[in-house]
Amino acid sequence: MLATLDRRTLLKAALVFVIAAIGFVAVVTLGGGAEAASADPEVATTAATTAAGGNILLQNLFNGVVFGLLLALASVGLSLIYGTTGLSNFAHGEMVTFGAMITFFLATQQPVSLPLLPFSFTVGLPLIPAALIGISISAGFGWLQDKVIWSQLRRRRVAMVQQMIVSIGLSLALVNLIQWWIGGRPVRLTTSIDPRNQYGPISVGNVTLMSMAIAIVALLGVAYFLQRTRLGRATRAVSDNPALASASGIKVDSIIRIVWVMAAGLAALGGILLALYQQGIGFDDGTQLLLLMFAAVTLGGLGHPYGALVGSLIIGIVAEVSTVWLPPDLKFATALGILIVVLLFRPQGILGKSERVG
Amino acid sequence: MDILFDVLRTAIAPSTAAFALAAIGLNFHFGLTGLLNMGHAGFMLLGMYGFAISLQAGWPIWLALIAGLVAAGVFALLLGWPTLKLRGDYLAIVTIAAAEMVRFLGRSQSLKDLTGASSGIRGKDFKEPFELLSPFPDRIVEIGPFSLHGSRSSSWWLTVVTWSLVFLFAAIYWRLASSPWGRVLKGIREDEDAVRSLGKNVYSYKMQALVIGGMIGALGGITWSLGNSVQPDSMGRPTTFWIWTLLLLGGAATVFGPVLGSILFWSALTLVKSVASALIPSDVLAPTELEPFSLVLVGVTLMLLVVFRPQGVLGNKKELAFNG
Repeated sequence: MLATLDRRTLLKAALVFVIAAIGFVAVVTLGGGAEAASADPEVATTAATTAAGGNILLQNLFNGVVFGLLLALASVGLSLIYGTTGLSNFAHGEMVTFGAMITFFLATQQPVSLPLLPFSFTVGLPLIPAALIGISISAGFGWLQDKVIWSQLRRRRVAMVQQMIVSIGLSLALVNLIQWWIGGRPVRLTTSIDPRNQYGPISVGNVTLMSMAIAIVALLGVAYFLQRTRLGRATRAVSDNPALASASGIKVDSIIRIVWVMAAGLAALGGILLALYQQGIGFDDGTQLLLLMFAAVTLGGLGHPYGALVGSLIIGIVAEVSTVWLPPDLKFATALGILIVVLLFRPQGILGKSERVG
Repeated sequence: MDILFDVLRTAIAPSTAAFALAAIGLNFHFGLTGLLNMGHAGFMLLGMYGFAISLQAGWPIWLALIAGLVAAGVFALLLGWPTLKLRGDYLAIVTIAAAEMVRFLGRSQSLKDLTGASSGIRGKDFKEPFELLSPFPDRIVEIGPFSLHGSRSSSWWLTVVTWSLVFLFAAIYWRLASSPWGRVLKGIREDEDAVRSLGKNVYSYKMQALVIGGMIGALGGITWSLGNSVQPDSMGRPTTFWIWTLLLLGGAATVFGPVLGSILFWSALTLVKSVASALIPSDVLAPTELEPFSLVLVGVTLMLLVVFRPQGVLGNKKELAFNG
């Protein structure tokens, strides 16, 4: 699919990006104007941080890239699932939290327990084996989900909208199950503090750098899988046209099963890295992240495997950079605003084929 | 016996009626037109913000009511404009995103003077004009096994008002759904292209349904806030999903489906919680775990309902809005 990324598509992408940037600036100016009108002390602090100049902008840009990469890791799976099955999976955010929580469960030195079991115990593995086991368990959970729920629904030919509502129900059940299991307070995967080093204008911790490297390797791995391996090509074929793929001898159902396993594993990895990056994860962080993932995937082009990456980077950068001008508690609102603006001008997303989607 | 009274009390509570009202609004969207509005709580929240903020600014109550409804109507227009021409799941993603944006904005510190940020607007700051209208006495009144305050908060007065509104809007739904206008909407739900080829302006019809349903949702939000308070975090995504569950439980595209669904949903939730806290020892299920436990059940119910009985209790299998 990289071959189809010709100059015209790139040009279009650039155009959309410019439009989004203009929209963003407009939002910022309007928001800024409204803020200036209400003379409360917070405006003064915002102005002060802006006055500190380019450093903060660069730092936020960098944070945005980090966040965007982690978001991409989480949302690639969402996009692959949409591409191969047509399902907007609202329970994908919980897969992110689940990955981080199972790692916490395995790695923490505190006593933990399971729902409905009245005793508690400690597993206390080191972080890296715990993370690997956590990712495997999550991938297994993805396999189980497809086996028990989604493949059955596909076989019964349940309408896509119904499946979407099923995923919403699943999301509600899972997020509360996780709250029941781990509790309402955010948890940390490690107790050690990550010292920040200064590289030029940017300060960053070692763990964050490692997370970035892992995320990039994982994303390159996905790209290699899709581009170069037989299974990856089959996945893209299913994504393009399931009926045709099936007719040419591809086992559509097992491809979808693999996509679910991969999506769940990647989401878990994203969750673990996110928990390290944010220094803690709460039971509903994945649920909060889901909307940004949808924004990223829609922005990049629903179902387009590389769309998730492009969209995630834009969403990550917009969310972090907006905090230079806007109050930080509005950063997700800004990112979601961008989604709505883009849908107005380019509903098929940046990399999506231009087609009628109504 | 206590459990039974608790359940009955929940069944007639004003907040049950408020959710029934919101579900009637969603029924206009989903049941009648097949629109996937996943941000209904956003409409409710905007309605209650409009209402409470205008009352705080000293507007008369009828004007505040209109302000709340207009806020939700404008929100519907803004949402519908980019998305109603697109496939259904785009509307779902955009409505859920927009509802979250409303919540984020409402709880943002920068709007603290207006919305009270994350602590919201306290009941006593805006409820008084409504409570002054009450014809009931200003004390606890006992009717049969139920004792409620005459006019304050979740009062007899609010109970009467909310349930009257529920039946009024159920009647309006019934009339509109069988009118020529409603039949066009049902046509859009069944086959949009067929309706378009008859020369109807599908976009405009969908927009009308979105605005009307959103306004009814806002009314549901306003009545809910009169029994509780304006609290952005109580109108998050779970609230939208509850409304979906109870609408599908009662039966989408039916007149009494939302009402029955709301009563069944909240009664069942109270029943489950009371039975669980009475029977399961607290070292297996601590009191703080009851809430997530019952919400897990809600999620599972929603999944099972959609797969095995998408028409709900009252619905007709032929009249289904799942044409995605």
